[in-house]
Amino acid sequence: MENANVLEIKNLCKDYKTFSLKNVSFSVKKGSIMGFVGRNGAGKTTTLKAILNLVHPTSGTVKLFNKEFLTNEEEIKQKIGYASSGTNYYPRKTLKQIINAAKPFYKNWDDNICKEYMQKFELSENKKITELSEGMKVKFHLVLALSHNAEFLILDEPTSGLDPVSREELVIIFKNLAKQNVTILFSTHITGDLEKCADHITYIKKGEIIASSAMEDFLKSYAHEFNTLEDIMVHLELGEENR
Amino acid sequence: MKNLIKKEFTFTALPITYLFTAFSLMAFIPGYPILMGSFFVCMGIFYSFQMAREGNDVVFSSLLPVKKQDIVKARYFFVFILEMGFMLLSLIFVILRLTVLKDVKAYTENPLMNANLAYLGYSLLVFAAFNGVFCLGFWKNAYKIGLPFLKFSVVTLIIVGIGETLHHFPNLKSLNYLSGDFTLQFFVLATGIIIFTAVTYFSCKSSMKSFNALDL
Repeated sequence: MENANVLEIKNLCKDYKTFSLKNVSFSVKKGSIMGFVGRNGAGKTTTLKAILNLVHPTSGTVKLFNKEFLTNEEEIKQKIGYASSGTNYYPRKTLKQIINAAKPFYKNWDDNICKEYMQKFELSENKKITELSEGMKVKFHLVLALSHNAEFLILDEPTSGLDPVSREELVIIFKNLAKQNVTILFSTHITGDLEKCADHITYIKKGEIIASSAMEDFLKSYAHEFNTLEDIMVHLELGEENR
Repeated sequence: MKNLIKKEFTFTALPITYLFTAFSLMAFIPGYPILMGSFFVCMGIFYSFQMAREGNDVVFSSLLPVKKQDIVKARYFFVFILEMGFMLLSLIFVILRLTVLKDVKAYTENPLMNANLAYLGYSLLVFAAFNGVFCLGFWKNAYKIGLPFLKFSVVTLIIVGIGETLHHFPNLKSLNYLSGDFTLQFFVLATGIIIFTAVTYFSCKSSMKSFNALDL
């Protein structure tokens, strides 16, 4: 039977002088939206970057679409899209220039889809990256990912720093993409966004995964004490003594 | 790889980088250290490195469906083509200087380096320094450009200094000839070709390895 996991991480470790990822293991099912949650500095970005080989794990394996990432890098990257709220590329270039630079690399690039999403997200191709708000930048990264028919989106804090309306817009977009069988892994510390769209959750604390399950099961396991994800997160981070 | 190279030339590079190859025309200036022309070309390439860094190009490129090491290879190819562009123009100008312009008084009485075969060899040594000092230094962290360029500048000044000094020694006068015995000039050119090829190759290999191991 074909493995339905888009992503499988096993025992991923990364050692820095002041921080370590310790045996991070979790998987993401096809067509699901997984929230990757943890407080600032917990290791979310390091994990996402390790998935993409932007940082080199000390040990562990990363499989995407059932293939080892390191030996199938080009093929796998054809199927994934990455967006981060804090990363900007070529701030003085127009969106059109960036699109034209990126599209020759993708076998499945579709100009019609690109135009459709540019219109949908109200992005002007003549605007420069510096002229976009943070929300618009994330949307533009999504346009790049969706235009090459990415099957898996890795989004690093895509809703951080956005106003509630923009965050809501993105949440709706994520839900619609999941309906089209696009798998989404997005890191965040904004629990409200997760509750609205994620069907799975992986919780990381101080570089260790402390939970990875269906959202419903995760919430149920704390239902006797806490009503919201935010309450659970505060409990997990600060412990009983600080309640 | 083809797409990465195209991206280097049409997206990452600054237009001014191409304009700087016009410094090859310095080969016609008498009484000027014309070897600085190759340094200025490297300075033009340096501006494109700077532009790429400010544009966060290494992360942008790393997320594209390419092998990480090919990003380095494509940049080296871009540098190599510009250097060869300068060399091709310089070769044309050297041929002009050694043929139709060989008896021009301003050149025959030129106290500084003439545009001849030795000049081409020295230019290749300057490019070898750029590839072996600046490029190699940059790819160690894919961020710092100031110190590697400073080191390259020092090495270039030494090469220019040596080049401008040697032909003043009586036994090495032929290094500055525009006609007559070209044996020494061939030797300098051959040395330049060998050093440039070896340094560029090993620098590229080493940079690919450094960049592959780098956490972005």
